[in-house]
Amino acid sequence: MKDTILDIKDLNIHFFTEDGIVEAVNGLNINIKKGETLGLVGETGAGKTTTALSILDLVPMPPGKIISGEITLDGIDIINASEKEMEKIRGKIVSMIFQDPMTALNPVIKVIDQISEAIIIHQNLDKEKAEEKAIEMLELVGIPRDRRNEYPHQFSGGMKQRVIIAIALSCSPKLLIADEPTTALDVTIQAQVLKLMKELKDKFEMSMIMITHDLGVVVEVCDYVAIMYAGRIVEQGTLEDIFRRTKHPYTEGLFNSIPNIDNRKEKLKPIKGLMSDPYDLPKGCNFCDRCDYVMRICEEEAPEKIFFSDEHFVECHLYSKDKSYNLSDHDL
Amino acid sequence: MSEIILEVKRLKKYFDTPKGQLHAVDDINFSIEKGKTLGLVGESGCGKSTTGRVILRLLEATGGEVIYKGRNVHEISNKEMRELRKEMQIIFQDPFSSLDPRMTVSEIIEEPIKLNKIIVNKEERFKRVLELMDLVGLSRRLINVYPHELDGGRRQRIGIARALSLNTEFIVCDEPVSALDVSIQAQILNLLDELQEKLGLTFIFITHDLSVVNHFSDDIAVMYLGKLVEKASAEELFENPIHPYTKALLSAIPRPTLDRKVEKIILKGEITSPINPKKVCRFADRCNFAEDICRNTEPHLEEVAPDHFVSCHIFKA
Amino acid sequence: MAEEIKTVNIKNKNEVAKRSLMADTWRRLKKSKTAILGLMLIVMFLCMAIFAPIIGDYDEDALKMNIIDRLQGPSINHWFGTDEFGRDIFIRIVYGTRISLFVGLISVSIALSIGGFFGAIAGYYGGQIDHIIMRILDVILAIPVILLAITIVAALGPSMLNLMIAIGVANIPGFARVVRAAVLSVKDEEFIEAAKAIGAKDHIIILKHVLPNSMAPIIVYATLKVATAIMATASLSFIGLGVQPPTPEWGSMLSSGRAYIRDQMHIVLFPGLAIVLSVLSLNLIGDGLRDALDPKLK
Repeated sequence: MKDTILDIKDLNIHFFTEDGIVEAVNGLNINIKKGETLGLVGETGAGKTTTALSILDLVPMPPGKIISGEITLDGIDIINASEKEMEKIRGKIVSMIFQDPMTALNPVIKVIDQISEAIIIHQNLDKEKAEEKAIEMLELVGIPRDRRNEYPHQFSGGMKQRVIIAIALSCSPKLLIADEPTTALDVTIQAQVLKLMKELKDKFEMSMIMITHDLGVVVEVCDYVAIMYAGRIVEQGTLEDIFRRTKHPYTEGLFNSIPNIDNRKEKLKPIKGLMSDPYDLPKGCNFCDRCDYVMRICEEEAPEKIFFSDEHFVECHLYSKDKSYNLSDHDL
Repeated sequence: MSEIILEVKRLKKYFDTPKGQLHAVDDINFSIEKGKTLGLVGESGCGKSTTGRVILRLLEATGGEVIYKGRNVHEISNKEMRELRKEMQIIFQDPFSSLDPRMTVSEIIEEPIKLNKIIVNKEERFKRVLELMDLVGLSRRLINVYPHELDGGRRQRIGIARALSLNTEFIVCDEPVSALDVSIQAQILNLLDELQEKLGLTFIFITHDLSVVNHFSDDIAVMYLGKLVEKASAEELFENPIHPYTKALLSAIPRPTLDRKVEKIILKGEITSPINPKKVCRFADRCNFAEDICRNTEPHLEEVAPDHFVSCHIFKA
Repeated sequence: MAEEIKTVNIKNKNEVAKRSLMADTWRRLKKSKTAILGLMLIVMFLCMAIFAPIIGDYDEDALKMNIIDRLQGPSINHWFGTDEFGRDIFIRIVYGTRISLFVGLISVSIALSIGGFFGAIAGYYGGQIDHIIMRILDVILAIPVILLAITIVAALGPSMLNLMIAIGVANIPGFARVVRAAVLSVKDEEFIEAAKAIGAKDHIIILKHVLPNSMAPIIVYATLKVATAIMATASLSFIGLGVQPPTPEWGSMLSSGRAYIRDQMHIVLFPGLAIVLSVLSLNLIGDGLRDALDPKLK
């Protein structure tokens, strides 16, 4: 039985703003064991970044507020941890890579110093030893050591992202959260960086949460996938479950929206309508106003979780009576 | 076989920088038939966006010709260019910065018509604005709304309506869906498809996303560091890519499927900046197949199969 | 089935109210207590200026000397007391408001229109034009505002008109700089390119697209400059180069009241207070506007 690194139970986060209350994260449950990679998939406003920030206790509060739930990281209760305790956790037990490599680095500090900073804080090494370790990290991510004294603006986007990865991994965290780490990069560079991340993940035996909207990236790196919509995980399972046994209409909609590179004649089937207004979510199922399979009950009641296996579940009324219902059975 | 509406010949655009001359677009050649879509593909720094802008003369060309319906766009007067602009339009990548934040939806769509005095009567103009909004799927209720109140998909529709407001025949689409969510991307792509059919529009579709361009284009031209490295029909390019860069680009696209894992060609190094480039193959230092000839002489675009052009010393078929 | 249920309408708050940017700015400005205070003060001054004739007659109360009543302290008849010539100080301050505000607004308008014009051209076209314009303005900028104003007034002769010209001209380079920077910040935005793409000519682009979108820093700057213009007016009048006595002006009132500062302090206190409060109020409004217009603080 592998150790559980992250356990989130029933997390609810709301933002109290001038324009109203944003129900950003609703009833979220995540469980990640050592060495596993979870893909958190969803579009803008799904709540993925807020979820990630909450694990690091970086959700701005106000206007955010954790209404209820538990976050247990490596046995530590994150929600009730003090700021001092969190400072020891961030960078050491959990690290985060943000989306935009262009702005995540301090422009006036040399890259080697930015890496050693993390090491010095967490590992009590003196400056020289920390720098040695930092150089090792640089080379590990494929940056030659003779570039260590350069500044961020002297590096390209892909290389900056590698520096960020080096910083994130410098203290061998148990969990790495990567928030759309390759979205801003060119496709060929993305391939390089994903390959690197996979290698490092294996080498360090790290668990990872890969936040992305790109199902292609998910296939490359993830073991498990959670599909988020309007703050809820609407479907979750192994790669096989999600790709071969798709259950939720939103997941199906995502697959249908992507131009199929191997079959160009297929007409795209976009999901109708727009992302639900987070200030004003529907009463029943959050997805009901965009769903092709909508039934009366969907508008009234929020769907329950229905399990198909230990790992595969969906929140959808279609399966409450008949678990063997097939999305392709539906006549459109 | 329809008429050729746009021809680009030996097009060059260079920028003077403190470090030297940046060859953003270097000797590009292609033509497009009326009613078709040419996909212009490449990664950042390849010059595709610059090409789009030079075609519309939003940037002045350093050399070469852009011939639209028989006239060289860069040789006509400013006044004649403004006339031409009624037919040649652009849809921008960023739906957030391409709309004036101080104008309402109807004001934005109306502006080109008003400026060019196409319809002078106010009521008739307003009618046309509503027509355009219907055409692109924007609810009429949004006429007095400001862009910042809307989401990316709707804003992009405003941009499309604006581009169509004149007697548009030719549109340069500069990464029109890259900034949008996946489900919205599909909506906009379908819309562009519909409009092309309905109105007989000709598109240049600039993007880095090969899966999108495959879906949408008739022909595809691949650019790298200012040069055209491969050009073919979309079907041909995907079935039979010849240039090593094209192959790498195609293999690098993450495929959302568990079937048939494609072996990824990982390129070494990074894209460099085309400042004062030497007359060699610009892809040589990243190419897994480069030989001496590649590092010494510049390859040229040659037809290696019917209607399939490649610029490479090593791979000819 | 899906056909039975009517498609639930996509609710969208956006489709209801129109929220203009000006209304938004006002809403945010209201939140700053200091800005509201400044606003109230400036409104008070404006009322004084507009309703001056109702409050007191110009010739009778502000100008006519009344030696018998001279140097009286504040009383019911004379709220702020009387000066060395027996004139009611309160009425004189009220009429002085007209001059301060008038000169302040006109001089800033001169500076804004001329400086703004050159700044916009320099910012939009760049290159040689930018260099030439800015270097010429740099020369003017090198001279301290007050010194420049003094020089102009000394050359043209002291009068209210020349005061406005002097302060206006001295502020031209500052406004050119601010407008140039504002134009630079906006001119590379895509919607400007879009305007070019639909065939708009340069002057239309600058007037209709560039300037309206770069107004924020210009408005803040202009507000603060009215404050300094009021200061300059008072300063110049204080040294006798501005408005001439007996015209009531806060600075000249300060100047002539200097001799009595020890025993009849009220003669300098109230004009001084007027200067301080008017300048302060404009600064508070300016700061409030700067925050209210800052898109990042939304």
